[in-house]
Amino acid sequence: MSAERWVGRPMPRREDVRFLRGEATYLDDIELPDLLEAAFVRSPFAHARLGAIDVEAALALPGVAAVLTGADLGKRARALPAGAVDDGIVADAGHPVLARDRVRYAGEAVALVVAESRAVAEDAAELVDVDYEPLQPVLDPRTAAGMPLLHDGVADNRLVTWQRTHGDVEGAFAAADRVVSQSFHIPRLVAAPIETRGAIARVEGDVLTVWCSAQDPHRPLAQLGVSLGRGPDSLRVVVPDVGGAFGSKGVVAPEVAAIACAAEDLGRPVRWTEDRAENFLAAYQGRGLDADVELAVSAEGRILGLRATLYADLGAYLYATTAVAPHTAAMLITGAYDVAAASVEVVGAATTKVPTGPYRGAGRPEAAFLVERMVDLAARKLGLEPVEVRRRNFVRPDAFPYETPMGWTYDSGDFERCLDAVLELAPLAGWLELRDAARAEGRVLGVGVGMYIERAGGLWESAVVRVEPDGRVVVRTGSSPHGQGHETTFAQIAADELGVEPQAVELRWGDSGELPGVGTFASRSVAMGGSAVASAARELAERARDAGVSVTDLGGAEAESRFSSGLVFASGAYAALVEIERATGRLLVLGLAAVDDSGRIVNPLLAEGQVLGATVQGLGQCLVEEAVHDEEGQLRTASFADYSLLTAAELPPVESRFVETPSPLNPLGAKGIGEGGAIATPAAVANAVADALAPFGVRHVDPPFTEAKLWSLLREAGP
Amino acid sequence: MKPAPFAYDAPRQLGEVLELLAREDEDVKVLAGGQSLVPLLNFRLARPDRLVDLNGVESLAYLRVEDGALRIGALARHADLERSAEVASGWPLLAEAVRHVGHPQIRVRGTVCGSVAHADPAAELPVALCVLDVRFHVRSVRGSRVLGADELFLGFLTTSLEPDELLVEIEVPAPPAGSGTGFAEHARTHGDFALGGAAALVAGEEARLALLGAGPVPVRFDGAPGDLPDAAVADLSLTGPDAEWRRALLRELARDALERAVA
Repeated sequence: MSAERWVGRPMPRREDVRFLRGEATYLDDIELPDLLEAAFVRSPFAHARLGAIDVEAALALPGVAAVLTGADLGKRARALPAGAVDDGIVADAGHPVLARDRVRYAGEAVALVVAESRAVAEDAAELVDVDYEPLQPVLDPRTAAGMPLLHDGVADNRLVTWQRTHGDVEGAFAAADRVVSQSFHIPRLVAAPIETRGAIARVEGDVLTVWCSAQDPHRPLAQLGVSLGRGPDSLRVVVPDVGGAFGSKGVVAPEVAAIACAAEDLGRPVRWTEDRAENFLAAYQGRGLDADVELAVSAEGRILGLRATLYADLGAYLYATTAVAPHTAAMLITGAYDVAAASVEVVGAATTKVPTGPYRGAGRPEAAFLVERMVDLAARKLGLEPVEVRRRNFVRPDAFPYETPMGWTYDSGDFERCLDAVLELAPLAGWLELRDAARAEGRVLGVGVGMYIERAGGLWESAVVRVEPDGRVVVRTGSSPHGQGHETTFAQIAADELGVEPQAVELRWGDSGELPGVGTFASRSVAMGGSAVASAARELAERARDAGVSVTDLGGAEAESRFSSGLVFASGAYAALVEIERATGRLLVLGLAAVDDSGRIVNPLLAEGQVLGATVQGLGQCLVEEAVHDEEGQLRTASFADYSLLTAAELPPVESRFVETPSPLNPLGAKGIGEGGAIATPAAVANAVADALAPFGVRHVDPPFTEAKLWSLLREAGP
Repeated sequence: MKPAPFAYDAPRQLGEVLELLAREDEDVKVLAGGQSLVPLLNFRLARPDRLVDLNGVESLAYLRVEDGALRIGALARHADLERSAEVASGWPLLAEAVRHVGHPQIRVRGTVCGSVAHADPAAELPVALCVLDVRFHVRSVRGSRVLGADELFLGFLTTSLEPDELLVEIEVPAPPAGSGTGFAEHARTHGDFALGGAAALVAGEEARLALLGAGPVPVRFDGAPGDLPDAAVADLSLTGPDAEWRRALLRELARDALERAVA
């Protein structure tokens, strides 16, 4: 076992020097000779039959190199692959590269224009004349089955069907003292990374090279491979510096396959840098879930059973990960609680909207929101304290590994310790006093707690650790950073194993031609990628020890590791204190306390940064964020003028603390830290809002908690 | 998000600007700070034939006090207003209101006259200027004229400026002796478009109030300070599902602005 001199230290991010000096190389910074730029013609209708496309005028514009339609692509670019989920039925409805015959959301690409500059490409795109015959939009996942069918062969507009029952659910509900029911609507959100999506495609000989703003090179490699019929011998994906993703760059954009075809045709490299308007319209959105949930409880507050139907607003097509979020929501719906019987059905509906996909949290915020609201509703119905009901139902610390009724196995955790920690951190007793004193003055305050479970890790990840002849250590990792801080945390991990300084460790990543891997998503970087680095470095350290030399004397030696493990489960408890301004309905988050159990923490400074960043996104979901489609299926929040993101000015004080129950599944004991704030914050704030409104007879409110919504609820309740 | 093609001129003299604006065969737009125009160009919602860039016309880049009045030239930036000690002491309402305009980067570039000429009903400065009895100085090759706020603002993004006219200066008289002013607004996030706002001036038993977000143009009310919040919102014709909430919000903001004015 190595001496841990670096793991556990709050070291500042090494990579920030490069970023803050403007020395990063993002996709749009890459210069290649003869580079052409692409723009897309996008459908103005949410649903329409696609008629003739006249490209003559566009082709005639000086500077235009090519205009391609779906018909031009033919069989060269097949739809991107749709992904499966365990035990689920998933329709064959992958996203086409360019629309053929029909368009199924406003913003779907119907033609590609390639020109000497993006400006000329946009001028030409306006000249492409497309015949559309508008069709009825399909907007509501609850009623999509009865609407016009969006895909041939997909009955009832059902893209994903999944159902699982465990235990005697009927018996549990029959034996219950009380049954609590609630319907929920969790709106769609946009990921809004600072750097939008994009790629450069270049064909040299038989080899297509794609530089792609992506979360890793591996999934674009696999997905483009399917679409374009290329294997790793004729396709290479390189990921440069990436300005954020939040899940939205885990699937390659169909536009990338289109520019690859153009680059092949023209013999010149082609770049597509998505602009902000395209990102709003065409990048997949997150969340979008309606649900009906029932809880069977005993008079003492024990949860005997749970029944739920989740209606996922999946959008027009299935990306490789579209089914993941509702599946994860279903799998985690019993949360931190030991529930003997549960039955969950997922109805994944096709709608005429841009597809959904993972966005920070990816199904876990939905699960936490549903189960945590249900626990509060049950407590209120039973006249018990919400905190007490949680204690009576927690999975006990000695129950791990714990198999949930949905079939996942929680590796580790101590939920009551997390809860106790957050009660102290807030401190909840003080908040309750404050709330009660303010209520006596006629003010509207509420306190809420939300637990969360974050499924993380799983699958495998790769690493190669090499000692250069001059003693420097080069770590190649299959995991790719886009804001996580790999260059700091992975160097800390390697440094401890090898007995060197982190500064002596250089990190390389992002080239599918260099190293296979799985990629960066599901808060898996440290647990999987970090463990692979630790394993490879440990092997080198052992070699040095056997040879009786120091690691830096092993010039030219390298060790490779492919680390795999089952899923790990981070967890935590959040608490919120809110006030609703009576005069305006404005929600003020007065305090937020965050306790996260991510197992062993490699770098507390970066971990706290993850907590704060995710919490801001969770708060955004509570306060302002909502992707709104009108009755025609048009996105009404299609720019930052209509879709707000929180700024530092809106941040309440956030107190963060960690509980560490190490995972037994990897050498670091790490779980995941990237998403907890986005998962637990909406649940805690929603419970606080409901608590604030309880004296007014309000039972439940769905996010976002806008001024107009809260003001109307207060007004309806009277003075 | 690239603009449609347009011709571009960057004259150095006001006379040249006015000559270019007078071209009858073309749709000509003035580019000053560009904080509203450039997004509209990039969305291709505005498609002028020609842009006349004012930024080289140095004679328009001023903010000064003359004969007791504040004179804001066509190239004075929001940040000039924000950072001026004379504005802070003599026209604190403007100093307060300008801090609600977008973000610092926007205020460094955006101009006061540009914001007024754009006439966005969610803009702060038109509302603040409304209670200060300002005079808008307008020039064209045909001559010059002076307009009051009620004469300039006609509707949503619409003013009485003719296509060949340029707003060259805003003249803000000193507030009445002994008066106080206040500004209040509500936006979802800091720097976001305001959902409502109010500017107030109180001099003894007389008060002026202007509301933002109450209609397509700034709405001005005069009366006794105690009566104004209720009186102002009572007659507003607000529509949409959130109309009653907006009325409540505006009443609260009016009350807040008036309280600040007497504080």
